[in-house]
Amino acid sequence: MTNKKEVLLEIKDLEIQGYSDETWVDIIKGVDLTLHRGEVLGLIGESGAGKSTIGAAAMGYARDGTRISNGSIEFDGMELTTASESEKRALRGHRIAYVAQSAAASFNPSHKLIDQYSEAPLQYRLKKRTEAQEDAMELYEKLRLPNPQEIGFRYPHQVSGGQLQRAMTAMAMSCKPDLIIFDEPTTALDVTTQIEVLAAIRDIVDEYNTAAIYITHDLAVVAQMADTIKVLLKGEEVEEAPTKEMLDSPKEDYTKSLWAVRSFKRDQKERPKDGTPLISVRNVDASYTGGDKVLDDVSFDVYEGMTVAVVGESGSGKSTTARVITGLLPPSKGEVLFKGEPFPPDYRNRTKDQLRQCQMIYQMADTALNPKVKIAEIIGRPAQFYSGLSGAALKNRVDELLDLIELEPSKYYNRYPPELSGGQKQRIGIARALAAEPTFIVCDEVTSALDQLVAEGILKLLDRLQKELNLAYMFITHDLATVRSIADEVVVMQHGKVVEQGPKTKMFTPPHHPYTDLLLSSVPEMDPEWLTTLLEERGVDNVGDAATAQIDPNDPKISG
Amino acid sequence: MGDILGLVGKRLGLGVFILFVISIIIFFMVELLPGDIAQAVLGQGATEENLAALRKQMGLDQPAIMRYLDWLSGAVFLDFGNSIVTGERVTAVIGERFMNTLFLAAYAAVIAVPVAIVLGVIVALLRNSIFDRVANVVTLSFISSPEFFLGYILILFFAVKWQMFPAISSLSEDMTLGELLIRTFLPALTLVLVVMAHMMRMTRAAIINLLASPYIEMARLKGAPPWKVIVKHALPNAWAPIINVVALNLAYLITGVVLVEVVFVYPGIGQALVDAVSKRDFPVVQACCLIFAATFILLNLAADVGAILTNPRLRHPK
Amino acid sequence: MSWFVIIYYTLLLGTSCLAAFFNKRQIFLVAFGLTLVSFILGIIGGPAALKAVAICAALLGLAAMVSYAFREFLIQIASDEMGKELRTAPMTAAFGMFVMFTYAVMGVFAPWIAPHGEAEVIASAFAPPDQNMLLGADQLGRDMFSRIIYGARNSVGLALAATIAAFVLGALAGLLAATKGGWFDQFMGRVADVIMSIPSLIFALLMLSIFGPHIHVIIIAVAVIYAPRVFRLTRAVAGNVVVMDYIEAAKLRGEGTWYLIRREILPNSTAPLVAEFGLEFCFVFLLVAGLSFLGLGIQPPTADWGSMVRENATLISFGDITPLIPAAAIALLTVGVNFVVDWMLHRSSGLKE
Repeated sequence: MTNKKEVLLEIKDLEIQGYSDETWVDIIKGVDLTLHRGEVLGLIGESGAGKSTIGAAAMGYARDGTRISNGSIEFDGMELTTASESEKRALRGHRIAYVAQSAAASFNPSHKLIDQYSEAPLQYRLKKRTEAQEDAMELYEKLRLPNPQEIGFRYPHQVSGGQLQRAMTAMAMSCKPDLIIFDEPTTALDVTTQIEVLAAIRDIVDEYNTAAIYITHDLAVVAQMADTIKVLLKGEEVEEAPTKEMLDSPKEDYTKSLWAVRSFKRDQKERPKDGTPLISVRNVDASYTGGDKVLDDVSFDVYEGMTVAVVGESGSGKSTTARVITGLLPPSKGEVLFKGEPFPPDYRNRTKDQLRQCQMIYQMADTALNPKVKIAEIIGRPAQFYSGLSGAALKNRVDELLDLIELEPSKYYNRYPPELSGGQKQRIGIARALAAEPTFIVCDEVTSALDQLVAEGILKLLDRLQKELNLAYMFITHDLATVRSIADEVVVMQHGKVVEQGPKTKMFTPPHHPYTDLLLSSVPEMDPEWLTTLLEERGVDNVGDAATAQIDPNDPKISG
Repeated sequence: MGDILGLVGKRLGLGVFILFVISIIIFFMVELLPGDIAQAVLGQGATEENLAALRKQMGLDQPAIMRYLDWLSGAVFLDFGNSIVTGERVTAVIGERFMNTLFLAAYAAVIAVPVAIVLGVIVALLRNSIFDRVANVVTLSFISSPEFFLGYILILFFAVKWQMFPAISSLSEDMTLGELLIRTFLPALTLVLVVMAHMMRMTRAAIINLLASPYIEMARLKGAPPWKVIVKHALPNAWAPIINVVALNLAYLITGVVLVEVVFVYPGIGQALVDAVSKRDFPVVQACCLIFAATFILLNLAADVGAILTNPRLRHPK
Repeated sequence: MSWFVIIYYTLLLGTSCLAAFFNKRQIFLVAFGLTLVSFILGIIGGPAALKAVAICAALLGLAAMVSYAFREFLIQIASDEMGKELRTAPMTAAFGMFVMFTYAVMGVFAPWIAPHGEAEVIASAFAPPDQNMLLGADQLGRDMFSRIIYGARNSVGLALAATIAAFVLGALAGLLAATKGGWFDQFMGRVADVIMSIPSLIFALLMLSIFGPHIHVIIIAVAVIYAPRVFRLTRAVAGNVVVMDYIEAAKLRGEGTWYLIRREILPNSTAPLVAEFGLEFCFVFLLVAGLSFLGLGIQPPTADWGSMVRENATLISFGDITPLIPAAAIALLTVGVNFVVDWMLHRSSGLKE
């Protein structure tokens, strides 16, 4: 870390307003920021904290519907708030570059990658076209893109997401800028892909000694990338400190709550001896109409009162497995047994009692609860539908359920979902599942949209309910910390196949199946040295897509 | 490229199929008449002999499906049978009128399309300015006005008060092109006003939609000057929506033309259709409907094919 | 130079200067732009053109004042929540609401407002306006003004009935298609494609030529023609709702289609559907007006705006604007509804961002 250096960017008392409902409201309320040459600053906060808006403002840019209302932004001695449009434009792409969250949407679909790369150097007359193209190839190679000589001549839709994100980083580097704004560059990527993009970004930033603002909501990621971390909450700064100091001794309560390592952990339960499993998935193949197989010979059991975590990246088939169990997607082969009896494959053919047994809790509480229906009805409807309750009995049942999920009944009874916080909404989702009095609940990434502390509360609640009501959970997640805390058994999936399964303790101790190993090692940890250590251990060519490609899905280590 | 040809072929096939279904609808709807065509033509007072004679003459003694096939095979070669009011060949009645209508529509389109697209883009770039707001109110007013309202207002001012253009567009063989353009100026202007308003709004919406794309923001953040953002980044992706807007509005012209022809007593196919409807001359009505529907389908087809051909994802497959 | 011209330019230039002084950019641009345009217009058309401009400006000002007052009135009588919504309405939308309100009053109370019956012959053909007849007589000697008032009831009523028919048909099919999916959805989509491939006016003419110009035929024809448009939109709106997890949860609970539509989908699609209803009404109203202009709408002697234009069109060649009044009435209502719809669409799209 290089401290006493020349100041590159200085933002003072920045205020930005956004236009909504015919009035201007403050979205950034007086933020200061200082960035030195070659320094990487991590901006962190929830969605709506205003990180992205600050990132754009650092380029003197206000998005449509926003305006910079106060403060100063000084870039290398130039005041951007009063600079003319053409002066600011001369900086963009040349001295300050931008890397957007979704590379797929941010590349123009009509032009080749390399033409988009050379646009800025040509415009600023820094290089000739052929020089720029040679440059691009060199950079593509440094960023470890496959076929660096050729990949630039493809169109954006012909290149995968992780590669596009690296190509965009290369594009940002095209004029060797002094500052790059990275706006959540890996959020849309899988963990195993994320790691190679992170490594590439870090290398290139180091090599050219470029200053960067790295915007993200993922603490572990920012810990790898940034020299200094600034935490934002609702448009205001919470605190700022060098990465190490910030991780070790956060001062503010909000920061502490973000940092709170998952403390909750419960003992692993053992399968009951010679009992029938509650849910048994047997040799299931499934595909969406006309598509390829998304599930290939998937089998696992869930016993009463136990939690099975299903782990894998997007596209591994974990959500599809849930759809097969709930009957939304009838399998093309194999079957699902409930207490040893076959479950009708299509939910429409299941009886009310069968439907009741198996409930679901969703990832996005926003889309899982109808915004136009009162809480009382959301929770009350299953009780009314399955148990035929009405009037005072129904009200009592709703009160009881609200009590169960630790929400004050009288306060929430008549409210609508949009009035609640994320954690409260998730609790309502749980109550709705409980109202059916099920024995089995599918939890689809229930904590991934929540803050650490809130997520912890939800996990504790789920655990308590499991003990009280003897529920079985199928926990779909990609977060290994969650798996560690709540699972009894783990099922690892890749490309629609179960690659490994077994009790939790066994799964977290080597030797692993190579894919489990890759997955376990790809999840960023809060330790700032994590990425460095990992790359040293595994080598740069043994992470991400390259490593995934090396794995033989029919590896003999698959245990049954 | 195989992909694109496949898609275009599929779309063409769908167009032909829809046209076929529509021919069925148009033909068999007449069969739903209470009684039959002969009854409808001769009225309640007709004698049995007259009815029988007419039925024989029109081939009504044949089953409906045979008559349909007969009609369809004729229609493919632009032969729609004879008018039951005048006995003339339908093609002779509407052939020339169809050309007149095409002339009027083309006249309007040549003025409206370029002006509307340019204005639409300008309004999109100046969005939320006072100019945009005024344009919004004005175009909305034109869209909301019935064609005959605009037509009569133009007649009132240009023909009656200022006497600049004729109110009635009678055509004759020996007119020069200049004379023709002056004679048909008012009906064309009416169409231009309505279609332009529609097109401007649609172009504006399409462009604004496009300018909200992340890659446009990226281009701005790469320091591209505004003209370059538009020409290099927006325009290559704007073809599909613009082609769509043009085709939709040309299709709209077809409907609008009927009312305008009546207002200006213009000898076009719309006028013929309205006359035939009031005289219940079914062969002419069917022929006109089929021609209008075919044009309409053709334009929609052109829009979709255009969109397929200009889509970069399809032009450069993986 | 008449006094009028001097006052005209003084006012315009005064406004421009004041606006410039107080930094009101938009007002300045409008006022000064108008001044420049007036120079040209004045040179070409003389004081008469300037008078026309002044009259237009006065009318616009009047409309703005009425709209403002009407919006304030609505805010006063509406509930708090509605009032908040209404406060965001631009002048154009307020104007639209005022127009709709006026037409509703005109239509409902037509027999009390109109001085004469709609089919009552009280004078000679095309008699000029007098104390008894505000706008003179039509081609059969009936009171023009009374017929216009009755027209609000007949023309708007017919269009409204036809729109409701089309809307119920289309929305129901759209909601069912979205909920059921599968072959039903596919089939309905294809049917809509086919019907929408026939230009609406042409299809209406075809049906009217076969079944004759009766009111129920018009309503059914319009319903058949416009239902596919409503279907498409409803299908799209409901399609966005159907993918939500709460619909999946309700399906997995075993809820029936009707419950899904009524309790889960409809409450989340009302805003776009209401806007679509307004938009469809405009299309239908213009189509029906076109049909009656062609003599295929409501049959005489019932008063109807479209046919009134056609019947009295000869007056236009004498420079008389009376026949344009019913046409203007059609345009005014459509503009008004469009203004309101524009505002609602703007709001619902603004909420999405």
